[in-house]
Amino acid sequence: MFGLQASSAAASWVVGRMGTDAHLYDDPEDASIPALLDSRFDADRIDALKRLLALIAQGVDVAHLFPQVVKNVAAQSLEVKKLVYLYLLHYAEKRQNEALLSINIFQKDLSDINPLVRAWALRTMAGIRLHVVAPLVLVAVKKCARDPSAYVRKCAAYALCKLFDLLPEESTTLEEIVDVLFSDNSPGVVGAAAVAFKSVCPNCLALISKHFRRLCETLPDIEEWYQITLIEILLRYVIARHGLVKDSVMFASNLSLVAQGGVTVDTMSYTQPTSVGGISGTRPNIMLLRHYIEEHPGCFDREDDKFSSPSVTTSTNDDVAILLKCTSPLLWSQNSGVVLAAASVHWIMAPVEEVKRIVGPILFTLRSSPDAAYVVLGDILVFAKTAPLLFAPYDEDFFICSSDPYQTRALKLEILTTIASESSIPAIFEEFEDYIKDPNRRFVADTVAAIALCAQKLPSISSTCLEGLLSLVFYESSITNSVHLDGEDIVLVQAILSIKAIVKIDAASHEKVIIRLVRRLDKIKQPAARSLIIWIFGEYSSVGNLIPKIIPPVLKYLAWSFAAEVLETKLQILNASAKVIIHSAEEHLEEFKRIMAYITDLAACDLNYDVRDRARFISNLLPCGKTSLNENDSTCQSHSQDIRKELADHIFGGKIPTTSHSDSNYRIYLPGSLSQVVLHAAPGYAPLPKPQSMELIYHTIKLTRDTANSSESNNSNAESESSYESGSVYDSESEGGGLSDKDATGSSQYPNDDGHNLHHRQDNQEAPLVHMYDDNVDQGQTGRNVEDNLSSLISTDLTELMSKSALESWLDEAPALPAVQESMQKSIARVSFTNRSFERKPKLHTLLDPSNTSGLSVIYAFSAEISPISRLLVCIDLFVENNTTDQLTDIIIKSEEASISKDEMDQTSEGSASIPTLAPVEEIRSLAPQQTVKMILQVHFHHHLLPLKLSVLCNGKRHPAKLHPDIAYFVRPLPMDLNAFLCKENQLRGVFEYARR
Amino acid sequence: MLQCVFLLSDSGEVMVEKQMTAHRVDRAICGWFWEYVLAHAAGDPSKVLQVVVSPTHYLFQVYRHGVTFLACTQVEMPPLMAIEILDEMMDNGFPLTTEPNILKEMIAQPNIVSKMLNVVTGKSSAIGNKLPDATASFVHWRTTVVKDASNEAYVSIVEELDACVNREGVLVKCEACGDIVVNSSLPGVPELTLSFANPTIINDVRFHPCVRFRPWESSQILSFVPPDGQFKLMSYRVKKLKTTPIYVKPQLSSDLGNCRVNVMVGIRNDPGKPIDSITVQFQLPPLIASADLTANHGTVDILADQTCLWTIGHIPKDKAPSLSGNLRLEEGLAHLHVFPTFQVKFRIMGVALSGLQIDRLEVKNTPSAPYKGFRAQTQAGRYEVRS
Repeated sequence: MFGLQASSAAASWVVGRMGTDAHLYDDPEDASIPALLDSRFDADRIDALKRLLALIAQGVDVAHLFPQVVKNVAAQSLEVKKLVYLYLLHYAEKRQNEALLSINIFQKDLSDINPLVRAWALRTMAGIRLHVVAPLVLVAVKKCARDPSAYVRKCAAYALCKLFDLLPEESTTLEEIVDVLFSDNSPGVVGAAAVAFKSVCPNCLALISKHFRRLCETLPDIEEWYQITLIEILLRYVIARHGLVKDSVMFASNLSLVAQGGVTVDTMSYTQPTSVGGISGTRPNIMLLRHYIEEHPGCFDREDDKFSSPSVTTSTNDDVAILLKCTSPLLWSQNSGVVLAAASVHWIMAPVEEVKRIVGPILFTLRSSPDAAYVVLGDILVFAKTAPLLFAPYDEDFFICSSDPYQTRALKLEILTTIASESSIPAIFEEFEDYIKDPNRRFVADTVAAIALCAQKLPSISSTCLEGLLSLVFYESSITNSVHLDGEDIVLVQAILSIKAIVKIDAASHEKVIIRLVRRLDKIKQPAARSLIIWIFGEYSSVGNLIPKIIPPVLKYLAWSFAAEVLETKLQILNASAKVIIHSAEEHLEEFKRIMAYITDLAACDLNYDVRDRARFISNLLPCGKTSLNENDSTCQSHSQDIRKELADHIFGGKIPTTSHSDSNYRIYLPGSLSQVVLHAAPGYAPLPKPQSMELIYHTIKLTRDTANSSESNNSNAESESSYESGSVYDSESEGGGLSDKDATGSSQYPNDDGHNLHHRQDNQEAPLVHMYDDNVDQGQTGRNVEDNLSSLISTDLTELMSKSALESWLDEAPALPAVQESMQKSIARVSFTNRSFERKPKLHTLLDPSNTSGLSVIYAFSAEISPISRLLVCIDLFVENNTTDQLTDIIIKSEEASISKDEMDQTSEGSASIPTLAPVEEIRSLAPQQTVKMILQVHFHHHLLPLKLSVLCNGKRHPAKLHPDIAYFVRPLPMDLNAFLCKENQLRGVFEYARR
Repeated sequence: MLQCVFLLSDSGEVMVEKQMTAHRVDRAICGWFWEYVLAHAAGDPSKVLQVVVSPTHYLFQVYRHGVTFLACTQVEMPPLMAIEILDEMMDNGFPLTTEPNILKEMIAQPNIVSKMLNVVTGKSSAIGNKLPDATASFVHWRTTVVKDASNEAYVSIVEELDACVNREGVLVKCEACGDIVVNSSLPGVPELTLSFANPTIINDVRFHPCVRFRPWESSQILSFVPPDGQFKLMSYRVKKLKTTPIYVKPQLSSDLGNCRVNVMVGIRNDPGKPIDSITVQFQLPPLIASADLTANHGTVDILADQTCLWTIGHIPKDKAPSLSGNLRLEEGLAHLHVFPTFQVKFRIMGVALSGLQIDRLEVKNTPSAPYKGFRAQTQAGRYEVRS
């Protein structure tokens, strides 16, 4: 009865709102939801569920109705089912026990005849993310991966991604399913498989090899979103398998750099792009390789032969050719993401003369999808900086349109400056003149700066530019005097800065400009602008023929106005007059000295101590007029005057080292990546794999399969494995998974495994929870350790272990080294006895792999200890081990930053602010074979997520390494009193708390 | 992958929240985003960049019709993918099915009949209970069985003219960006071939996924199996056009705190069809005390955001429309130092200004010869005249 009434009431509503569901959003709590949920009628239940979903979408917590909703999962009506599934997905994780009630229904639905029902059931089951259900989901996914309906298979691929979070240890099984899905003949499924591949096993590129050709051929047929993912995977595969293309832009940029011996070419002094490899004219000062490709120890440390010939292939290679051929039509895709992904394949792999085909399509995306413009422009900027000639004919595409937001304009300006050439500069310059009238004054200031950059690049236009800038200065100074306008100041200052930058190149030929500027001094009131002009005057006071003639009146004017100036101008006046005295000819020297004395007298009485200091400093360096107090002996005095003269020459006359605006600290990430937009490595960003690194991986995967299959058998497997040390990093994943699943019967083989597990340390997050290794075990002592461990295994009491592990996890403090070793030894036993969830062990990461460093292995773990030096430093335990048979000496660990300051050629500096600093560590004098030493490293990550580049010196050889930060260890307790705490606590909002406005 | 999608109203209120992955995103991020919008774009989300870095997440946002689509992620993913799918259907943070034809079949669109049916019967059927055929078909954009087709195909060229006239009055840039929109209502699996009379003038192209690449590469012919209904077959661009159909000549001269404005509009190059809906719009320069603008034809409005909109409509035969008037500058300012840019809009029916012509449309694989129709239209895109 009630249900009928409710539905009729709803019906009347619906008539009013023409049958939309919008009323549910307006007032979802209008009707009694629990009553409706229990109704016999589908319509009522649908109504109730819709109201619930409306509440969820509005942020209200309706988890309390979970049991009543779960009941409805068995409903026959598909719509009820769908709505219940949506609700379940949202709350299953919070209400695990009740969610289990629905599992049976899912199992039943999985064998429904309607593919839509099967797909929903699978999606929901995988989506509820319960660890208990995960094995069931795995079975379901296996089944659905061979479902007759392509839609269900596609959902199975998606379920793989969800499952991987829950069952990382099953990755081998998951990989096999990905393999099955890749061989599917429906393009939709193949696309979804690509997505699954990327989340499950992005590094198992060997998996692609047998599908490669078919994947390339299906590429145009699959949906656009998958195309983006699949293109990336194929690109990585080709690079890992075949290496770089010899005549590509990327390789050319690398080669030319090597040819110059690694010296950075100054961007500013660049006149005409040298055409490397023909028409495209790549500019060699950006080494794309460095930025794009993952740094591997032993790959970049030798400057002379960066890439030996085997890691290079040609564009005639079959796989490269087919990839290029299949991606080129995608440059015409209507999806700008696909266009950019296809373009980046060509950018990296195509021969130089074919790269130009990407230009048109990329530029067209600027117009056809305006939302994408900002992202695409960022990538174009990198392309343009590397190969300016490529974009030079398309300057009008970068002309600024009044609807562009500021950031887009700034990027376009930078691109225009980069691609400007002798032939295009008149048109670009005309555009710049128009921009100066734009209402957005910040943009105008940028334009003025861009003019200076163009003039520096193309000296032929510098006099035209100076004329324009001078008239702008005059005009701006006239209007800023009459009214105060927002933002006019920055234009004026920038105009003078630009003049200064252009004049610097050849001051003598531009002396008239300097004179005209200085003559304007009494009209320009803006302090920053005045100081700049005074600086220019002082700096070039001895240049040319005309300037020295105007010095006396100008200096008198400055002395006259000194008292009325602001601080920065006063300092500049002092500096400028000092420079004049140093450079001036004899005839005027006396006059200048008198003026100088007047100025220093004024300055000595100034209110500001900086000015007083400067005055004292200058009058001591350049004693003028006043006789200095006779404190020293006369012999000393003449000597000290020489020194003073020299000092003054150095301080005031010294040429400022040109701050090269080099591209070396310009950050570049793969085109089309989020990192390139935000200009820092976003979590999860992976550079391209090392060229031709694939054979090794493939080899080890084979091996993994073998060991995984026969893990129950005997020790001989593990024994043979030890001969493949180089590849064992890849092994460990499956190995660990296998171990954790085994029961106590298999445990007798563990101690023997341990010796080899030494090489099984993992550096990735998806590592299994259990890490087993034993530090004092070595090959020679294996036998003894078998006994040791066995005895400890037998003697250890279960309760003792439990309590110890529980204590550890509560204390949340990594024990010191002996404790670590101890607990690790015991952990071997723990695997077989206790539930894994009780354990807490420091996560070990590999800093240096012994295979790459001829036997030196460095492992690190974050410790929660507080650094004695500073709270900002994070303590890291390092375990340095010698795996060779020889003595290793002089092991030093230092930050890459330090080595850069010594080695100017190194280009990887990324702006000093972002490089984390490293507290000095003592060096290890010598390390005996098989010896392990623990040391504590204190690192300041500057709250960045970027890995810290370290170099480990050992036996005189440098091994680069990367220390990946673990953000959890940046968290520090914050002491506060009770009141402050209560106050802060009140400001905290719950996860699902919702305040209506 | 995307972790969460929010839909925000134009006052920053969260309307819809959809969590995609286990890593839930607290909706406090929306508060942060809205404060960012207020601080950087004065509350107008359309002026905010598409990629925003917040302290905890990377945000992608797209603004459509008063609704801000906000997506959050913490890991690397192609930003263009995020931006383009924001209003599409997703699963686990990855796009699932996006072809509109299929979505329409999966989620029944409310139409007047079904609404009335719902009201009368008390049932609703917002969700189709059958898996659409096309999810299994090889041409994923077309359902395999199209029923009730009226056997017609319409092709229309819709062009936008971008032009930029600099302060000297020189045409710096002039290009046409066009879409070829096809509305097909054909039974079965038809094979269509569209060819142009002058394909060589086209500079850049983008295609709907149904277009086969090879015929275009070899002989510039569009060969495709169309989706049912209306869709954008192709976008193209023709660069370096020589003239614009109309001229707009603004003159601003300022002296002694006054600024004389005079804007002339007229036909430069008659396209042979009537030009209508002409408007000229410009932002009044800052620091204007008062504006007095009149036109001899059409209406002049000064909108709230200091924009002057001159609606002309048709250009009359007997006189040339002109806008003239005086801007009084603020006290102390003798000359105008920034000059506005004039945005021009117009529309011409029946002509594609780029000169692109469709040669013919062939339809194969249909039971009877279908009816075919062609149309063309040009309107102003980014047509700017600087003064």
